[in-house]
Order: sequence, then C-alpha cells, then structure tokens
Amino acid sequence: MIIIPSDKVLLLASWDSVSESREKGFFDFEFITWMAWTWQTAAFFVFIALCITAMVFWEKRVPGGTPRRGVLGLDTTRGDRLFISLLSSAFIHLGWLGLIGPFLWIATIISVAFAVVVFRYF
Amino acid sequence: MNKTINQKAWLFVIPVFILVAFNAVVPLMTVVNYAFQETFGNNVFTWEGTRWFKQILRSERFHAALGRQFLFTGIILAIQIPLGIAIALTMPKKGIGVPVCLVLMSMPLLIPWNVVGAMWNIFALPEIGFLGHTLNDMGFDYNFTQQIGDAWFTTILMDVWHWTSLVVLLSYAGLRSIQPAYYQAAEIDGASRWAVFRHIELPKMKKVLTIAILLRFMDSFMIYTEPFVLTGGGPGNATAFLSIDLVKMALGQFDLGPAAAMSLIYFFIVLLVCWVFYNLMMRNEVQS
Repeated sequence: MIIIPSDKVLLLASWDSVSESREKGFFDFEFITWMAWTWQTAAFFVFIALCITAMVFWEKRVPGGTPRRGVLGLDTTRGDRLFISLLSSAFIHLGWLGLIGPFLWIATIISVAFAVVVFRYF
Repeated sequence: MNKTINQKAWLFVIPVFILVAFNAVVPLMTVVNYAFQETFGNNVFTWEGTRWFKQILRSERFHAALGRQFLFTGIILAIQIPLGIAIALTMPKKGIGVPVCLVLMSMPLLIPWNVVGAMWNIFALPEIGFLGHTLNDMGFDYNFTQQIGDAWFTTILMDVWHWTSLVVLLSYAGLRSIQPAYYQAAEIDGASRWAVFRHIELPKMKKVLTIAILLRFMDSFMIYTEPFVLTGGGPGNATAFLSIDLVKMALGQFDLGPAAAMSLIYFFIVLLVCWVFYNLMMRNEVQS
C-alpha cells in the first residue's frame, strides 16, 4: 500500500505518466534531466549572467568602478554594489514570502528600487 | 607611467573555472531548480513555485534549528577566540618549545571529523568512557545521550578541543610578525602588559583574527560530521543543527524540494553574515 500525504494528492496525476515516454521539450537533454531545469530558473540565471555582462560593458564605456565611500562608511566598487543589490533582493523576497506571502512582484519592485538606491548612495 | 595591458593571464584561470563550475556552480544551479519543484525521484519534477520557501520560512522546525545553530556558533566563538589568543600569548617564542607546541597544537586539526566524533563519543560514554565515567564517579549525573545540557556540553567541548588550535596558530603567526621595536617602545614608555596587548598586539593581530573568526564562523555554522557521529542530533532534536536537520529532510524524508529551499536560505544567511562581518572588520582599513 502506498501512503500518500494529503497535500500531495493532486500530484498523483503525474505518477500515471511516469513510465510513458514523454515528448522531448527544449530542455530535455538526457544528460542534464537530473538538473530539472525550468524556464523560470533558467531565466533567473540568464538574468544574473546578463547583469555581470552589463557590468563589464558599463565599466568599458564609463570607467568609474574604483571604490568610493558610501553612506554606510563602506568603500564599495560597482561590483560590490551589484553583490549588495542581489543579496538584499534575495532577503527582501524571502522576507516577503515569510511575513506576507502573496503578490511577490511587489517584493521585486522593492528590490529594484533598493538596488537603485544602493548603486547611487552606497 | 604606462602599464602594459596583458589579459592573456586570464587563460590560466580556465582550468580552475571549469573545476569550480562542476563542483560548485552546477550543483548550486541544481539546488535552485529543485527548490521550486516537487519530485518523487525518477527525474520527474512538478512545478511548485515559491511554496517550499513559504513552508520553510514559517516552519517551527526551521526556526528551532536556526536558533540552535546561532546559539552553538555564538558559544564556540565566545570560547575559542579568547582562549586561542590567550594560548598564543603564552606560547614560547624561541627554543625547542616552539616546534613542540606547534606540533602538539596541530594534532587535533589533523584528525578527520568523523574520527573526532567517534573519539569523543567513546570518550564521553557514561558507562565506559573516560570522561563520562569519571564525571559520574565524581557525583555528576552525566549522560550525553539522554540529557540535553550534557549533549550540548559535550558537543561544545569537542568543538573547542578540535578547533581552538586553529585560532592559536593564526594568532601566533600574527604575534610573531610584530616587530620587536614596538615592544621596545612600549617598554621605554612604561606600558603595562594590558596596554601592550590592547594597543600593540591586538591591532596587529586584527587581520589574522578576522580570518580566524570568519573561518570558525563558517565551519561551525556548517558543522555536520562531528555532532552527527557524537549525538546524531539528539537527544530528540536538541543538537540537530541546520546541516543535520537539512540532511534529515533531504535524505531521511526525501523531501528534496523543501530541503533545496532550506539550503538556499541557509546559504544566503552564511553569505550575509560573512559579508557583514568582513565589512565591519575592514571598515576602518586604509585602502592600499
């Protein structure tokens, strides 16, 4: 007998199709199926990569990434400020999920606003 | 003066980059992917969105494990750092004593973690262990397998035994790099022993202590093997620190999605604390 947790009953639909051969999707490369890529998480990593690439081009076009003293009294370079922005956006999203829950896009807006503040004043 | 620009050196970084990609970046990406999905194995995944994050962030179990983790890390830092500095200050500065002390100090660091756990488990067993038996003979009601306080005491004692040497060795290296001229000047000024420590030795040790505290923070925050072998997270969940709880969730219950979400939250906490700490320590350093 299989004991099914009540919150997982809905997922049983996917069990029936376990043994069936599935149609190949764009991300169904055999050797990385264990990585379980989804377009959402892929988009997230592409976004990070784009951020870093953008930083390279920004520095080439307008050099100015040398450390400066910000409002916190920290010497930060542009890269540091990107790191601060990304890490704080992670915590803003986690805080939103933990304390509030729905409308996660509001946390995204807060994160972007905070990133702008970080790049200007930190 | 014109600097020559030579970017070819970056090519030498490629092997390391590939290595890191396979042992860190790819697994981390996989964890991110798992954190948003549910699986029962067989490479079948269903999208769950942010459900696991909500579940973990609001679970009593995670809060308790996080609390225990911070308490443990706080206690061992509060013991190991002052104790390490104190031992480094009393170590001999020349003669045969130096290599003897250094080798003795390095011994605990050379022992594999699971062996440390097994050693202390046997050492502390109330019936047959030297420590446990002696404590019981002395009239203490000591049993680390059943009493929460004793389990914590033993785990902390084990970590102090295992890792204080690291702080000692780093502090000793910092102390040895201080020029004798500083001590001579202090002597001429008639500075007390405390003043010498406070105004010469401590500032000169700042960098090595930063490294020591960072290493001890990270290692103790991610501690797994030693308490796993010593107490197995017990009695109950009393010494189930974050990593032990995480492995229980991932491998014991096979809840890969929630476990992945929990490891990401865990990872972000480590990143944040290290960043804040490093910046606090380096804030007043002059840029070279």
